[in-house]
Amino acid sequence: MFGLAANHLAAAEPSFQDLEESLTCQCGCGLTVHSCNHLQCPSAIPLRQEIREHIALGEGKDTILAHFAGKYGEKILSAPTMTGFNVTAWVTPFIVVGIGAIFVSLTLLRWRRRTPEPIATPADAAKPAVNAELERKLERELDDLDI
Amino acid sequence: MIELGRQAILIAWLIAAYTIVMALAAAWTRRRDFTASAENGVLAVWGAVLVAVAVLLHALVTRDFRIEYVAAYSSSTLPIYYTIAALWGGQKGSLLFWALILTSISSIVVLQNKQRNRELMPWVIVALMSVSLFFISLLFFITPPFETLAVPAREGRDLNPLLQNYWMTIHPPSLYLGFVGMSVPFAFAFAALATGKLDSSWIRTTRRWTLFAWFFLSLGNLFGALWAYEVLGWGGYWAWDPVENAAFMPWLTGTAFLHSVMIQEKKNMLKVWNMVLIILTFALTIFGTFLTRSGVISSVHSFTQSGLGPFFLYFLALVLVVSLGLLFLRLPMLRSENELDSLVSRESTFLFNNLILVGIAFAVFWGTMFPVISEAVRGVKITVGPPFFNKVNAPLGLILLFLMGVGPVIAWRRATWAHLKRTFAGPVITGLVAGALCFIGGIRNYWAIVSFSLIFFVLATIFAEFYRGVRARQAMVGDSVFRALSQLIAKNRRRYGGYIIHVGIVMIFVAITGTSIFRIEKQVTLNQGESFEIGGYELRYNGLEERDTLHIAYLMANMSVFVDGRQVDTLRPEKRFYKKPEQPTTEVAIRSTLGSDLYLVLGSYDAETRMATILAYLNPLIGFLYWGGITLALGTFVVILPTAATAPAASYVPARGDATETRS
Repeated sequence: MFGLAANHLAAAEPSFQDLEESLTCQCGCGLTVHSCNHLQCPSAIPLRQEIREHIALGEGKDTILAHFAGKYGEKILSAPTMTGFNVTAWVTPFIVVGIGAIFVSLTLLRWRRRTPEPIATPADAAKPAVNAELERKLERELDDLDI
Repeated sequence: MIELGRQAILIAWLIAAYTIVMALAAAWTRRRDFTASAENGVLAVWGAVLVAVAVLLHALVTRDFRIEYVAAYSSSTLPIYYTIAALWGGQKGSLLFWALILTSISSIVVLQNKQRNRELMPWVIVALMSVSLFFISLLFFITPPFETLAVPAREGRDLNPLLQNYWMTIHPPSLYLGFVGMSVPFAFAFAALATGKLDSSWIRTTRRWTLFAWFFLSLGNLFGALWAYEVLGWGGYWAWDPVENAAFMPWLTGTAFLHSVMIQEKKNMLKVWNMVLIILTFALTIFGTFLTRSGVISSVHSFTQSGLGPFFLYFLALVLVVSLGLLFLRLPMLRSENELDSLVSRESTFLFNNLILVGIAFAVFWGTMFPVISEAVRGVKITVGPPFFNKVNAPLGLILLFLMGVGPVIAWRRATWAHLKRTFAGPVITGLVAGALCFIGGIRNYWAIVSFSLIFFVLATIFAEFYRGVRARQAMVGDSVFRALSQLIAKNRRRYGGYIIHVGIVMIFVAITGTSIFRIEKQVTLNQGESFEIGGYELRYNGLEERDTLHIAYLMANMSVFVDGRQVDTLRPEKRFYKKPEQPTTEVAIRSTLGSDLYLVLGSYDAETRMATILAYLNPLIGFLYWGGITLALGTFVVILPTAATAPAASYVPARGDATETRS
């Protein structure tokens, strides 16, 4: 689910697999060109050949992907580009979580302020040391009993 | 028989409509006889739907090809277990099956609550029967399952070969139980809103139902992943396909709900948020069904695609408008006595856990819907595939993993520095050591190092909890370690069952990290007798084998597997050629060991030269996906199974001001 593979792929030298994973197979399988394993796939097989040709020309990843997007339409890319309106695809989830984090933090602070502090009494100050030890023990046991 | 099936659906529709009217009347007048009549109505709807299902099953098993559905989704050579599974292999059957699960669950709810929740029950019935009526209406007006062919077919077109797999016999029922099960907490939440009885009783009543639904939703997702792994043959198990996402989103919000209700039970807080979460979870189950059936977004899993999409969308809009409208009206009554002693406490950790779970659900929703948004805004079709979901969800997933280590063990109310040190010093050191060992061991992928560090951190917190509990019991009662452990779990099942579930989830994280980062793959074209190596295995291609049956023709590549020169296995990746419909499929061959799966796919072959192209994958740690699922199931059983009468009383502390009469 939280596959991490895509993140460690080097960007400088476009590998064949990297490019395969950046393109979506158009046969209807819904997988990337790399993952499509359809026998005689009418889409993945020629696309792989085309990738090889562009790598052989020494083109960079961005150039190759731009070529495919231009030729087949943007839908061939397996993820939105980082340009224009597509940027919203990438940043919106983090903005939403960020706003959520601010909201949760502010709410917690509000609740914290609303909660009355325990009032220290002279009796508290006069508590013998053994009470502190007992309190620690009580706290530990309460933790252990916690459900 | 066909007519009996049709009439059963008509009767179910009529009684469901009657039941809703009676339940509304019962809620309005508070007349017990009206409630009793509505309750009987629920049971009668179930009976009628059961008859319809029995008739369709009978038609499938007896190969009654007069019925269009039977002819479309089965054949005379289809094995009996897949013939039964054909009940949910197509649109009409799956809707009927859905209706059966929903009405069965509704009936159990009615029987469970004959003496309890009397004030809520009429509204619970209104909610459950409204959902039932929607599904029965589809079956009656839009997609009747007993439609007959003008000319009876001599032979059926058969079940889609991709669905002829054992995971598919259990994956859809699990998912449906999960989806439909979420209707129960939703119905009680709706009833609580409608009646204004807004204490935590609806949460306690439905706690086991929520767990039940969550459990099956978890299994449904896992079974679907395993189906994809074994059937689709691309070496992976999760492709962020819209239909996978549709099942994952309610799991995420349902998980958030399961956690946040604990705060309401304990502290009487988050009342509004819990309502929002259960409404959202239920809405996402309907949204998921819409995605699967509407074809609005293309998917490899849409085996039941049709023109039903708009109906689900209208129903979804109705659910959201009514329930959120009701929630808005009740807002003044839902004001909680929200108090917080410290920001460093379990309450605040749970809130952040909720934020991340809902955040991931949003990210998945956003990514799934972005192609539609892009087309609407720019008029350009785009694809949002695995690279997007992996990049966006990986950091959120790791934060969630961290919170999973902190949340269950940090103190309620206020965590003191001494408590934090005592609880977390060991686990933090364990996590750091694990990370360092990964680095020393040669791992240079920082995602993997962080992931493994957090995995060991979480495991250490859980282990420490068990260790402390066992030690305390041993000191108190003098039991042996095993007895102390079993007693510890038995006396506090909710807490320790929860830990076991967390261990299961951590194991799934292990599998995800291993397979995403360390997977090795190779594609080789071989002549007979040639070998290649992958991840310590040597594989020799011995040639093609053929087998023919009435139903399927098989073509297999015979591959000998060697480790250190010794043959340890023979694997036969296949191409299958189904005869009805004529369709080739890929059947992978897997050698599973504790550390990894060797996964072979027969890519292509030359019938004349007998050359074969083999795709070989080494998927490290994927076994943890299975074991994680089993551990999760075990933990859920520990939490959910009925306890001895004294146990809940000992482990349950009612929240301030809550009534306790409705505990289930």
